[in-house]
Amino acid sequence: MQSLTTVYFLTLRSLREAVRNPAQEAGNVLIPLFFFAVTVGSIGSIAGDAFGVDNFTGFQVPVAILAAASSISASAGLGTITDIQRGYFDKLLLTPAPRSAIVLGRITADGVRTVLITAFIVGVGLVFGTGFDTGVPGLLVLLLGSFGFGMAYSGFNAAIALRTGSPQAAAAGGLLLFPLIFLSTAFAPKEVFADWLQVLATINPITYVLEAQRALIIDGWDGLDLLRGAAATLGFSIASFTLTLLALRWRTS
Amino acid sequence: MSAIWAEGLVKHFDEVRAVDGIDLDIAPGTIFGFLGQNGSGKTTTIRMLTTLLRPTAGSARVDGLDIRDDARAVRRRIGVALQEAGLDDIQTGRELLTLQARLFGLGGGARRRRVDELLAIVDLEDAADRAIGTYSGGMKRRLDLAAALVHGPGILFLDEPTTGLDPVSREAIWRYVTRLSAEDGITVFLTTQYLEEADRLAHDLAIIDEGRIIARGSPAEMKASIGTDVVTVEVPAADALDRAAEVAAGVAGVERVQIADGAAVIYVPDGARAVARVVIALDDAGIEVGDVGISRPSLDDVFLEATGHHLRVEEPSAAEGGAA
Repeated sequence: MQSLTTVYFLTLRSLREAVRNPAQEAGNVLIPLFFFAVTVGSIGSIAGDAFGVDNFTGFQVPVAILAAASSISASAGLGTITDIQRGYFDKLLLTPAPRSAIVLGRITADGVRTVLITAFIVGVGLVFGTGFDTGVPGLLVLLLGSFGFGMAYSGFNAAIALRTGSPQAAAAGGLLLFPLIFLSTAFAPKEVFADWLQVLATINPITYVLEAQRALIIDGWDGLDLLRGAAATLGFSIASFTLTLLALRWRTS
Repeated sequence: MSAIWAEGLVKHFDEVRAVDGIDLDIAPGTIFGFLGQNGSGKTTTIRMLTTLLRPTAGSARVDGLDIRDDARAVRRRIGVALQEAGLDDIQTGRELLTLQARLFGLGGGARRRRVDELLAIVDLEDAADRAIGTYSGGMKRRLDLAAALVHGPGILFLDEPTTGLDPVSREAIWRYVTRLSAEDGITVFLTTQYLEEADRLAHDLAIIDEGRIIARGSPAEMKASIGTDVVTVEVPAADALDRAAEVAAGVAGVERVQIADGAAVIYVPDGARAVARVVIALDDAGIEVGDVGISRPSLDDVFLEATGHHLRVEEPSAAEGGAA
């Protein structure tokens, strides 16, 4: 019970911090939308003929969502570093609250922030005609998935922040997702890739997160895609939370 | 039962022995001063006793609870204000205290009353709803002290609570600490690098140097242990210092002589009478004498006698400190 209340209060604290840093939140939204607009504007008109994707705008919405999650988690990593450097992290550790719950508060807030930005990006997509094939139930599933992925990815940055205490490392942590995005089906279906890239995209969990989101937006309900996306997100979560707990143990040993 | 007890407490960071076998036995309701210069092991000791660091060896109990086995229970019973006021600049003072109270399980009306009470105690009522980032250094320290007290702890750890503060802010913190001990019976474990702070606040005192406690007692007992006046004779020629110490040691009544910071520090029962004899002896030996001073023993003399060097105080940069 104390773990849940700790997570709740520290989530609120991190969300309050985000609200009071509007410039940072604007960056988390605008940068992914910029890349979204540029990608759609540059190759959207040939995507149908080149690799059979008629709704390329909808195809790109999940990429913008993952880029936003990456940006949010980077800023959260920096927030953790700031807490450590100011000594506020120690103040939290000196309460009787479970230590894992202290870290989970900020990670949960990142999940909530990812949900809010996902809703905004989906809204922008709708304005530009992406549609949403699975309707409101599908949107709720997408938001739930974004919450999970946002938390999972934030965990990696929390681990980096706790282990290194370095703002530079925390900022770089947010960029770790980009190679995985480029090695996935972010910009085109796997079938048009070179053989070596097909192999990498197949073993890349980001591919399955993207395809699950795409199914909800442009393809309709597909149980297998959703299951694979959920499994990939769960795998990310287990890996990131394990690393976070190990980093926390290292910092307090 | 001791409020704080430790035996053979050790902390290594790789090859560095930051704390090298410390024993403590602190009575409830007292202010215990832990005096030492930067890097002597004060902060590492406090971080172990407050469960932020795991000791490499040794054992310690706080309010009867083992710091390893009962860490969460220890944290319920202690308040801690570390060297850097550990605050969140984006929250307001009231929000920070409220969150802190919630994490200690205080609910509803009791929480609001406690937060209001603490804001009044540390004179921050007017600034309570401003972002902490706008506070001065002294205000942050006072808020940090309030945060450490939010759950009504019986034992308070203060790590260099006045380092970098101006005299007015320092005086305010001293007043709060004295009141907490005298009126509320709180045991205070206070680290400091300021002799005046230790002398003024501490009922009981330990001097730490290179990770070891090298002297222990009340400030008055420690100074009395010197047992003599202290005559300090500056010798401008550095290469004459050893010879000056040798000559001074031969003067009638002189008990011992130490060299520190370009001066011969001479311990002698009747300083006023002895100073003339010392200066004449040095002059006869052809040693030029600079400034000469006589003083009653201070904690610095205790420190000098125990370590062979004066206590060096390192102040943070101006940007880190602050006014009230």
